[in-house]
Amino acid sequence: MNWPRMLDALSRIPHDLSIHILMVVIALAISIAISIPVGVLLTRPRYKKWGIVVMNILNVCQSFPGMAIIALAMPILGLGLKPAITALIIQALLPIARNTIAGLNGVDPGIKEAAKGMGMTPKRVLTEVEVPLAMPVILAGIRTSAVLVVSMGTLAAYIGGGGLGDLIIAGLNMLWVEFLLVGAGFGALLAIAFDRGLRYVEDRLTPPGFSSI
Amino acid sequence: MIELNDVTKIYDGQTVPAVESLDLKINEGETCVFVGPSGCGKSTILRMINRMIEQTSGTITINGEEVRGTDPDHLRMNIGYVIQQIGLLPHRTVAENVAIVPRLHGWDKDKICKRVDELLELMGLIPEETRDKYPAQLSGGQMQRVGVARAMAVDPPVMLMDEPFGAVDPIVRSHLQDEFLRLQTEMRKTICFVTHDINEAIKMGDTIAIFTKGHLVQHGTPQEILSKPKNEFVRDFIGQDRVVKMLTLFQVRSIAKANPCTIHEDELPNIRQKMKEQQARGCFLVDQSEAPCGLIIAEDLERESDASQERLKELAFSRRGAFIDQHLLLSDALSYMLEWDTDYLGVMNGQDLSGVVSMADIRECASRKEGD
Repeated sequence: MNWPRMLDALSRIPHDLSIHILMVVIALAISIAISIPVGVLLTRPRYKKWGIVVMNILNVCQSFPGMAIIALAMPILGLGLKPAITALIIQALLPIARNTIAGLNGVDPGIKEAAKGMGMTPKRVLTEVEVPLAMPVILAGIRTSAVLVVSMGTLAAYIGGGGLGDLIIAGLNMLWVEFLLVGAGFGALLAIAFDRGLRYVEDRLTPPGFSSI
Repeated sequence: MIELNDVTKIYDGQTVPAVESLDLKINEGETCVFVGPSGCGKSTILRMINRMIEQTSGTITINGEEVRGTDPDHLRMNIGYVIQQIGLLPHRTVAENVAIVPRLHGWDKDKICKRVDELLELMGLIPEETRDKYPAQLSGGQMQRVGVARAMAVDPPVMLMDEPFGAVDPIVRSHLQDEFLRLQTEMRKTICFVTHDINEAIKMGDTIAIFTKGHLVQHGTPQEILSKPKNEFVRDFIGQDRVVKMLTLFQVRSIAKANPCTIHEDELPNIRQKMKEQQARGCFLVDQSEAPCGLIIAEDLERESDASQERLKELAFSRRGAFIDQHLLLSDALSYMLEWDTDYLGVMNGQDLSGVVSMADIRECASRKEGD
């Protein structure tokens, strides 16, 4: 173990970690903003028939290896943070959309029927009944995506996106174990932190008197 | 008043109509029970009234206003709706659940709070205890009560109930039915009530509409249906015990005869003479405080012509249960008669013996109603 090198690696952490977090948060926020409305639309009667098409497209996106998406993003979008975030978004869409659809479809039809039968407009049924009841499942999807994006974010360094990947690539190229340990270690810690944090949000948002999943 | 004119519903992708050219009129303040086997279209009809389903053709009017001409959400806000699954929102408290429709109507907070407590009390729930509970913390019977309270929140003149007491055990169901009947005698709402249980239909309905395969077979009062089943289907649907079911429509007091023959213990030796004088076939033994404690019937005296006073007392005590509350039904009276091996029963008004009912009276009642 080379202590000066270890300290060097650690001194890069504040910068690399904050870029990594920024990347993850932006990618996650955008994919939530896309996936949840798509999931909601695909469970409305009018658009239900498009469900299979859209889910298949998202499935294909998901099945690309992360490395391939990063590599594909470069010739189209160039180098830097922006193409890296775009690649992350593509990967994060599916789990959230899938869980949104599953969550909304899983709401007891008797409850929806009663809500509609009392005179709630379809919009009210969605916002006051369906979304709150589907929330635990939707949040579980966001959690899956978050962990996925944190780990895939380390690949962003290959196209100049920065983040913890910088440490890992440097470590691999130079065979510096310390850089590898610090980069991968903080990546793992970050994934755990996101998972825990979102689980806490999930607990807080789970409707009371309602068993969590 | 709800009126259905030539209503037909054919579901998408099906050729056989779920409901075919139905004409039905439900008068104001009347409970009409739709009954029939599964898939006979009874729920479809109910759901067309509040436009949860749109009819293929025909018109449905509520108090002269065609439902298809109104905004569906507005229409539903003014119709009470109770379904078998109850459908309480699990993430809302009992009070919030009951407050849903008043909130849609834009009532202010104080008015809603007051109304919620009033309704919970009306449904036999203690407001302080139940108000802040979540549905998952309630028993099945309590959930049903909250479901009914929620449907009545804005006191809608029309209520649609789709097997509202279907999800609870028979004892709780019977309780809920009794309570609802009691409420309905005061509220006089126009109610459509769906069930597959003919006994529930007989109990709850002012009129009963029997359906099969999307057609109305017979519509009439329970008595009409029971005494004059229109065809073999209705007869089968009612069951073999049709006449006994008809007895459930009448309370004992409606046929009980006043001034029963009674006797004190010390008069027992004169019992034959007393019964002869009063032309009674049964004589009730009463104690010093006039409380009934036994029954002697003419057959006893004929069989044991030389029975001692002690023996007579013994015979009387052997039928100490042959008394029945005047509010019970004739079918219950029949069961008591079989249980206590007697043709006569004392009819009780509270603690007092107020009359007598006999097997002959019940038979006469049944045959008279049959002939109506």
